[in-house]
Amino acid sequence: MTNPIRLSTLTQLIQDTIQSRFEGEVFRVSARIMNVKKYESSRRCYLTLEEYEQGTKTTEIRAVFWANAYSEIEKFEKVLRQPFKDGTEITCKVKVRYHKVYGLNLDVLQIDVAQALGTLELERQQTLERLVRENPEHIQLISGVYRTYNNRMELPLVISRIALITAPNSDGQRDFLQELKQNKHQYQFSVTEFLTTIQGDNAHQLILEQLQLIEQRKEDFDLVAIVRGGGSLGDFKPFDDYELCAFVARFPVPVFTGIGHDRNQSIVDLMAREQKTPTKVAAMIVEHNFDFENALIDLKTRMNDAVTDQLERAKERLEQAKRIIRLSSPRDILRRGFAIITHKDKIVIDPSVIHEGMELQTQLKNETIFSTVTKKAKNEKEADL
Amino acid sequence: MKKKLTYNEAFTKLEELVEQLEDGRIPLDKLADNVKQANEWVALCETKLRQIEKEIEEAADTNSKKGSTKK
Repeated sequence: MTNPIRLSTLTQLIQDTIQSRFEGEVFRVSARIMNVKKYESSRRCYLTLEEYEQGTKTTEIRAVFWANAYSEIEKFEKVLRQPFKDGTEITCKVKVRYHKVYGLNLDVLQIDVAQALGTLELERQQTLERLVRENPEHIQLISGVYRTYNNRMELPLVISRIALITAPNSDGQRDFLQELKQNKHQYQFSVTEFLTTIQGDNAHQLILEQLQLIEQRKEDFDLVAIVRGGGSLGDFKPFDDYELCAFVARFPVPVFTGIGHDRNQSIVDLMAREQKTPTKVAAMIVEHNFDFENALIDLKTRMNDAVTDQLERAKERLEQAKRIIRLSSPRDILRRGFAIITHKDKIVIDPSVIHEGMELQTQLKNETIFSTVTKKAKNEKEADL
Repeated sequence: MKKKLTYNEAFTKLEELVEQLEDGRIPLDKLADNVKQANEWVALCETKLRQIEKEIEEAADTNSKKGSTKK
């Protein structure tokens, strides 16, 4: 039996072997991250990279982001709008390193953000296709636009009773309420808050529960606003959840979203009506009511104009009638030089009743002439006055 | 008893009346009554914008345990 060697001799041998095989070599690997421990103050992150086959773990190796690579995690979270957390699949560049005390590790140098984005987009597409396939009555894709029962619902003429789903004491809650309260038209709103966590693993379930509460009182609301503070780096994965999206698509009260991300659209945004930010949702509501007020002002103006026109027309008709009556009065006729011929106090209209020798009175404007008919002859042609 | 109109119904009636007025279909002797009625409808619609209706406030009082109402 040979004498034992020192452990350090063996670990040195391992180190030398690994170094000679892997020195300077960078590998690109895909794996699931688990046991993530981030230390922001020292800008380090310890984790394990794992691989699974049919739900069973087949590989696990420790990995670390050192300070010089920590910004990769920040970039990942910023671009994908989701936290770097357990269970996330990533593709990254690593170097193999062995330390006699700390053992075998992979140093992560870079995360393939484009690959992660692609994976996320693929999942998103699959959810969208499933929504259309499994909810044909409520969700249709027409010319690239998702038309849902909810986003096709007609809005009430005035929006005043609002159900607000948001996180307590959040920027989104404050911005939304402030914009409504400070509206320059002094419209009044009744806002009922349904407060819940809207970020994190269970957020989609919690939002769904709030929607179910609202659905039980659907007659009490004109609109549902789901808002989240702008600028948040938190993930919007809850808003891509199939169950939540399907529920929103067929929800019986119009839903508006302002979940605060400019770059991407969540699937809930597509199922409802998207306004990007809480402030924009509130501004849209105020604008909608302003449109109604404008329509009302227009009707009032048209009504006043129509009434004025009708009265003017009636006045004109009356004036015209008065003029005709005035022109037809015997006094006016005499004033204009005509005369009235009477016989025994009766006006003579038909000249055939006049005979020679008859006594007639010719009534002029100021005088009456009494005369006796001495001769009567027919006019050669009808009097043309 | 006369049924109280909703603002929605009032707005629709107002639209119809204005069309009738513009077409000259309202007789002169009915004009004053119609205008009075129309102004009541306008007031009802304007109220909807700037004053929360009493029933909404009552509904807010009986809010769900989770919900709270802000005005």
